[in-house]
Amino acid sequence: MRESGDALVLLLAGGIGSRLNLLVGHRAKPAVPFGGIYRIIDFSLSNVMNSGLTRVGVLTQYKPLSLMAHIGNGEAWDFTGRTRGIKILPPRTGERDSDWYKGTADAIRQNIDFILANPSEQVVVLSGDHIYHMDLDAMVSYHQHKKADITIGMMVVPKRDIHQFGTGIIDAGNRIVDWEEKPAVPRTNLASMGIYVFDTKYLLKTLAHDRREADFGMDIIPRAINEDRVYAYPFYGYWRDVGTIQSYWETNMDIIRENSGISPEEWEIRPNPECVGRSGDRGPVNFQAGCHVTSSMIASGCIIEGTVINSVLSPGVRVKKGATVTNSVLFDDTLIEENAVVDLTICDKRVHIGADAVVGYGENLTLPNKQFPKHLYTGISLVGKDASVPSGARVGRNCIVNFGYHDDTHRGHFFLADGESV
Amino acid sequence: MILAGGRVDELGVLTHYRPKSAVPFGGFARVIDFPLSNLLHSGIERIAILSQYRSYSLINHIGTGAAWDMIGRNRGISILPPFKDYENPHWYRGSADAVYQNLDYIRYYGPSVILILSGDHIYQMDYREMIRYHNEHDADLTAAFVEVPYASPARFGVAEIADDCREGGRMLSYEEKPASPKSNWASLTVFCFRPAVLSEVLKMNQAGNSYEFGRDIIPMMMRENYKVHGYKFKGYWGYTKTIDEYWQTSMDLLGPRPKIDLEAWGIRTNLAHRSIADRQPVKIGAHGNLENSMAYNGCIIEGTVRNSILFPGVHVRAGAEVNDSILFFDNIVHTGVRLNRVVSDVNTIFNKDVHVGAPKCEKLSRVSVIGWNNNIPEGFHIGCGCTVAPRIPAEHWPARHLEDGEELK
Repeated sequence: MRESGDALVLLLAGGIGSRLNLLVGHRAKPAVPFGGIYRIIDFSLSNVMNSGLTRVGVLTQYKPLSLMAHIGNGEAWDFTGRTRGIKILPPRTGERDSDWYKGTADAIRQNIDFILANPSEQVVVLSGDHIYHMDLDAMVSYHQHKKADITIGMMVVPKRDIHQFGTGIIDAGNRIVDWEEKPAVPRTNLASMGIYVFDTKYLLKTLAHDRREADFGMDIIPRAINEDRVYAYPFYGYWRDVGTIQSYWETNMDIIRENSGISPEEWEIRPNPECVGRSGDRGPVNFQAGCHVTSSMIASGCIIEGTVINSVLSPGVRVKKGATVTNSVLFDDTLIEENAVVDLTICDKRVHIGADAVVGYGENLTLPNKQFPKHLYTGISLVGKDASVPSGARVGRNCIVNFGYHDDTHRGHFFLADGESV
Repeated sequence: MILAGGRVDELGVLTHYRPKSAVPFGGFARVIDFPLSNLLHSGIERIAILSQYRSYSLINHIGTGAAWDMIGRNRGISILPPFKDYENPHWYRGSADAVYQNLDYIRYYGPSVILILSGDHIYQMDYREMIRYHNEHDADLTAAFVEVPYASPARFGVAEIADDCREGGRMLSYEEKPASPKSNWASLTVFCFRPAVLSEVLKMNQAGNSYEFGRDIIPMMMRENYKVHGYKFKGYWGYTKTIDEYWQTSMDLLGPRPKIDLEAWGIRTNLAHRSIADRQPVKIGAHGNLENSMAYNGCIIEGTVRNSILFPGVHVRAGAEVNDSILFFDNIVHTGVRLNRVVSDVNTIFNKDVHVGAPKCEKLSRVSVIGWNNNIPEGFHIGCGCTVAPRIPAEHWPARHLEDGEELK
């Protein structure tokens, strides 16, 4: 039961997340599949639902179709009813604004009409692309108790990662007294999770202050800590920004690992299973005689004849006889033909790996992808949506097979060396 | 009109708290999902479910009907429970009486054909083909039949059907559960009626004292020289009237080319019922081992599972072994447990070292069935062919074991 009144939630789901490379080729980052049956945004939406909050605006911008289809009318997260609801808020032209969202604060500013139309004491601003479990109701109560203008969810992160975050220095009462956005030389290990509670009146006032202030972390918060009451809300649980291929893969693997701290079902994370374009629902996983599956998550509708170890399989994946899938994440309806080998690879939807092909070939994990050395450098290879890897192919490490790749004419030996793309 | 009211005594503890049509089947679905999915794929979108026995589970399962696309301006599922009014003081006294009591529902919609189905069978059928046959032959009643082995027709309605055409022919004789059947064509309980005739014969039937389509209506129509046809169904038909049949039909889901192909049949279920949509993918531990088995989302497998069907949320711990068994939602199987040929209803806990079924899986050993919400004490042994009633209180578990064929109430 909600303790703190019905705060309005604004979910920032506009980020491109370009470091996720092919995975965001057709969809916004919050819509990227995760953990077999979820999408990244399910974690934020479920946290909102489980906190008893009932009114949500989702600010979209980049490739929103897949995200909009996924959210639908919000029924999966109990947002349907007379006074509850979830609205998609794309950028619009208006009297003065005719531009894309220029930053987090600018995005909220362009939706002041939505905030006014849904009266609230507090506004909760969340990011739609994090994997975590958090009681937002408790955070709003904390905000009220502190009589804060802004409360920021913050957690301790390793020193080596801190340069990616907004960081705060707090006093004994958790009031933030200093702020550095993405510091080169950090003075603290307390990082912002991109989760904010604002007093609604304060938010409207501060957004009106200077229209050039486009971003919360860069502009609004540094100014606010000098003038207003800004508090840190400490968070101690599991939280990941799955913004890179490496962290995306690691976080998927965490679901398999015992005691890793992430457990979507215990966290009551709700997916939105669709049967669009399908005549029936996905049936139970079919484990054929002779299959071998350990340390994995396998979603409904999969048919396993071969070997699957340490992998996460979305609905409808088929692993045929003699095929081996290890350390990989396979999206919906991927087909691994007989005797193929797939290691340390992320396959998007409906990928076809031909018989006897090897994806993730060789032992050299350290030669980065030539085209995207900052995206792929730990050995993970990517196969894009609807791509087809020919029978007998060899695809090395840190490779990219582009979405829709298909080559009927390729009669010779298909060989993609470490770090190459096609 | 789906006849979904029955309990079916032979299924025993599985139908203590639900009608047969709501019995779980296929690792995630319910029996009634089969006719409902058939209706969906046949484009038949106005459906009534006649339900009487412990309807809660069924009503809950049907929900709004959205799972089968049966919600919209001209589409819908209505559940028709028995009622009393100043003319009628009865419960549904049989399948024919149930339809009789709802004749105004039929009049309201004024259909050109009425399809009456049993909600109890596992099969895939395009009803449009049967309706086309019915219309082409201008029949008053067309009933579907399937060939069964000669040993078994005594348990069904049996007809002799003329060889008029490939699809069927005039019904020459019909007998309900005959001692010495004249053919091996058994009734599927799928009837296609001309509406005016249906209402006529149901009214006539009210004069009698038995109100069943098979036992009373079809023989009466044969006697009265109505135009009655038999439609020969050629597909798979799974009947689940006893625990052993339920088990056998379930086993037809397994293997590389299963007789019951959920995917090809396009079976839909209500994913909101028992929140199965919210279950995470099947989690297989480092020592988990599954062979020739099915498991739905929410299962956690750390032990060994062979030739078995696991519904959402079954947890098989390390060192447990499940063979040739069907475990409904949220069973927990602890270390050292051995299950052989067991059907176990929802929420049952098999504590450490419990054994159920013959120690070795012999071909002919009978199935043991465990009712729901049981907490079987540590080290307890249950033989094969045993029945354990739902929710046995802790103090009622006997000190000795259950011998083969024994029943615990």
